[in-house]
Amino acid sequence: MFPYIAKRLALTLLVVFITSIIAFLLVHLSGDPATAIAGEGATERDIAAIRELYGYNRPLMVQYLDWIGRVMQGEFGRSHYLRMDVGTILAQHIPVTATLGLLALGFALLLSIPLGVIAALRPNTLIDRIALWIAVAGQALPSFLFALGLMYVLGVHYRVLPISGGTTWAHFVMPSIALGYYATPAIMRLTRSGMMDVMQSDHVRTARAYGLSPWRVVIRHGLRHAIIPVVSLAAVQLGFMLGGSIVIETIFSLNGLGYLAWESIQRSDIEVIQAILLVIAAAYAVLTLLADLLNAALDPRIRIS
Amino acid sequence: MTGPVLEVSGLRVEIPVTDTLLRPVRGIDLVVQPGETVAIVGESGCGKSLTALAIMGLLPRNALLTADRIALAGESLAGISQRRWRQLRGNRIAMIFQDPMTALDPCYRIGDQMAEVLRQHRHVSRAAARERSLELLRKVGIPSPEERLGQYPHQLSGGLRQRVMIAMALLCEPELIIADEPTTALDVTIQAQILRLLRDIQRDTGVGLVLITHDLGVVAGMADRIVVMYGGEAVEVGDCDTVLGTALHPYTEGLMRSIPVPGETRQGEMLGFIPGVVPRQSGERTNCGFLQRCPYAMPACGEAPVPLRDAGDGHMIRCLLSSDGGGRDPEAWTRQPEDAS
Amino acid sequence: MSSMVTSSAPETSMSPSRVALRRALRNGSFWAGGIILALIVLAAIFAPLLSPHDPAAQNLDARFIPPVWSDNGTWTHPLGTDNLGRDYLSRLLYGARISLMIGMFTVLISGTIGTVLGVAAGYWGGRVDLVVNFLITIRLTLPVVLVALVVVALIGSSLTLLVLVIGLLLWDRFAIVMRSATQQLATREYITSARTIGSSTPRILFREILPNITGPLIVVASIELAHAILLEAALSFLGLGVQPPRVSWGLMVAEAKPQLMFRPWMIMVPGVALMLLVFAINLVGDALRDVTTPEGRA
Repeated sequence: MFPYIAKRLALTLLVVFITSIIAFLLVHLSGDPATAIAGEGATERDIAAIRELYGYNRPLMVQYLDWIGRVMQGEFGRSHYLRMDVGTILAQHIPVTATLGLLALGFALLLSIPLGVIAALRPNTLIDRIALWIAVAGQALPSFLFALGLMYVLGVHYRVLPISGGTTWAHFVMPSIALGYYATPAIMRLTRSGMMDVMQSDHVRTARAYGLSPWRVVIRHGLRHAIIPVVSLAAVQLGFMLGGSIVIETIFSLNGLGYLAWESIQRSDIEVIQAILLVIAAAYAVLTLLADLLNAALDPRIRIS
Repeated sequence: MTGPVLEVSGLRVEIPVTDTLLRPVRGIDLVVQPGETVAIVGESGCGKSLTALAIMGLLPRNALLTADRIALAGESLAGISQRRWRQLRGNRIAMIFQDPMTALDPCYRIGDQMAEVLRQHRHVSRAAARERSLELLRKVGIPSPEERLGQYPHQLSGGLRQRVMIAMALLCEPELIIADEPTTALDVTIQAQILRLLRDIQRDTGVGLVLITHDLGVVAGMADRIVVMYGGEAVEVGDCDTVLGTALHPYTEGLMRSIPVPGETRQGEMLGFIPGVVPRQSGERTNCGFLQRCPYAMPACGEAPVPLRDAGDGHMIRCLLSSDGGGRDPEAWTRQPEDAS
Repeated sequence: MSSMVTSSAPETSMSPSRVALRRALRNGSFWAGGIILALIVLAAIFAPLLSPHDPAAQNLDARFIPPVWSDNGTWTHPLGTDNLGRDYLSRLLYGARISLMIGMFTVLISGTIGTVLGVAAGYWGGRVDLVVNFLITIRLTLPVVLVALVVVALIGSSLTLLVLVIGLLLWDRFAIVMRSATQQLATREYITSARTIGSSTPRILFREILPNITGPLIVVASIELAHAILLEAALSFLGLGVQPPRVSWGLMVAEAKPQLMFRPWMIMVPGVALMLLVFAINLVGDALRDVTTPEGRA
């Protein structure tokens, strides 16, 4: 077991490392940072001065190593625009995105898993078709449209929920639904197909043959098996949601990482952009690792082998 | 207890598929007395497993079950509610399946699975359930049962797992146990142990046992009565010694011939086999079900379905041949089959 | 237990693509999705002919005219006008062009990259497989929307760059699916027998493997086409996709966002169009998946 964990950990670290290189290169090669910072109407001299000041005239490799070295010590650099330590800025925004992501995932699971289970138990009936349609709608509905739609119906027309800001729990309801909905089809389909398979299995037949109550058969002996891949999928979807939160956060004016990224991109705030890319990629990598470990923990067969 | 543990008459299973109706079971009768072992013998595809599932009420949703009578210790099982089924299953009627590896849930410990069954049917504390589980594990001959309770199924060998399954079947002291190919997935040496265990348990508890198998070797020494099934029907029914001693139905005869007998079968001698394969079961019968593979086939066999008749002393066969064995060509089996379907 | 019925016999005598085509034509989803898709494609192709006005022509006297079914609607502008008086129907039609064009080109790029990587990994296995898997993992770790935004913001947004960026980002599913499809084929006997008679590797790849993975390829392509179209819409919505004077449905939604409270139709029109397009693509994709799967699916 432990060699397995060690291997996966090493792989995750390698992936994050490579991603950091890509993040760095993306930001530094997509145009000249000094020019971007200087803005319009800057003279050649101003640009050269900025380049000198921030060390953008050094070889890329050196700049990268310098940056990653500081990152590993917990220093993410300084924001040009906000004149603050990037780490501090991140710390202010991460909780919002994390909350949004978890709530969105929670919504997706709450909707998809029961639907998937019921659809599997009653295939080709009305509820199965409803589940299917929800899945289809989820795939065709872009999150920004859904967000706007929710905003209109619940925020403008019926005025039950606030449409911007992030101060109360109510502020997170619509964004979570809009963000989480996209994960619903995949989770529901996987739950449904997994349940349909497991309900045909021998051990479920045994559970039935011994007169166990339907609850025990379906949940303890059925879902318990079918949910294993779903857990992995959920962790991965959370990772996607963290990356895709930018659209939702800008629509609902939620002050999270996505919103910060958006603003930083507009302001060419290089250091912040770099840091956010790295943080989100690292979060995804960690979540994937978590998914694999959970997978191993839940399935006793993997544990022993 | 008086009266039979299980009475089944006229059991039929039909399964509608896209363009036709399959009839895998076409009217089976079965009577099991307390303490009696009745073996249902036949090749795969003859409907014996479906018969077992039908008795347990575990047929797939699209299957149609009809019967003149199915009764467990006098209580009719026809049209009972799902709730009543759950009360009976694992409690008064228990089933042992073929492959204990897949039959047990790999995610839970042995002790948890046994306790779950016991506490479903009896109001006992966890401690009492554990005690009872240990008692039964000992009874089925599992060494260091305390350790086993905490283990997962994949940590046990095949033979031990089957013993656990038998223990689980006995938890609530059922009146009837149905064992569907209980030894097929096991090593030959273990097979004998398990069979002996079943026999001992039956002697101790007086439980009725329905033993389903394709292996005549398993039956000898285990069963009191035999039902030979072919094509969804019983083709020969009778007392075990009688049937094995004087196999009257050509199919039974064919089965007997395909078993090597120590001391008799010579080295290099070809084992007898029954040419052909089990045909698909749809449509009503218009002739004898075994016609295509029977070496003694006569014109009359193709004219009408053959009824089950008494050949004396409760020995039933479904065949037009005379019951004294006369009129059978001894060379029939070794002749080339007309067509191999 | 008795054996179950298998499906009708005649199909086994036709070639697999023939079978797939026949089954596609019988499939309801295929027709529904196909018709909608065809209509949108035709509308896009004939946009110049069908548009009543120039989509970029501003007319500040005719701003915010509602669609023809509302009170003040007029047939001059059947779908109304936007905040700058531009005709909505014309913009819708030209927006279709952009969506479809970007979608197709990005799928071409991502499909090529993904197929090459996936087939290589599936066929050669071993270290090639490890490398490709690693690349896929890296790609999955990067947040797509953010990366696209960063590149477009910092380099500048031209249509070509947009297509390139999206194309270079969405190849992962192609790689994954093509890899597993190739793996399943590579172990089959006719591949090993082709090798034993001395067929060279490119020959095997092109003659034996590629023709047999077109089924899953088309299915993935449809999924990724929808994905690419949605991504472009999101980027344009954020202002970093298609730029004016070009029209994109995402851009239309963005420009209409301030009107959410009082003129929701401005958001709904491009929104519904987008949904219809993606829905149609998904329907066709699902139908294709159903018809290219051999019998015996759940």
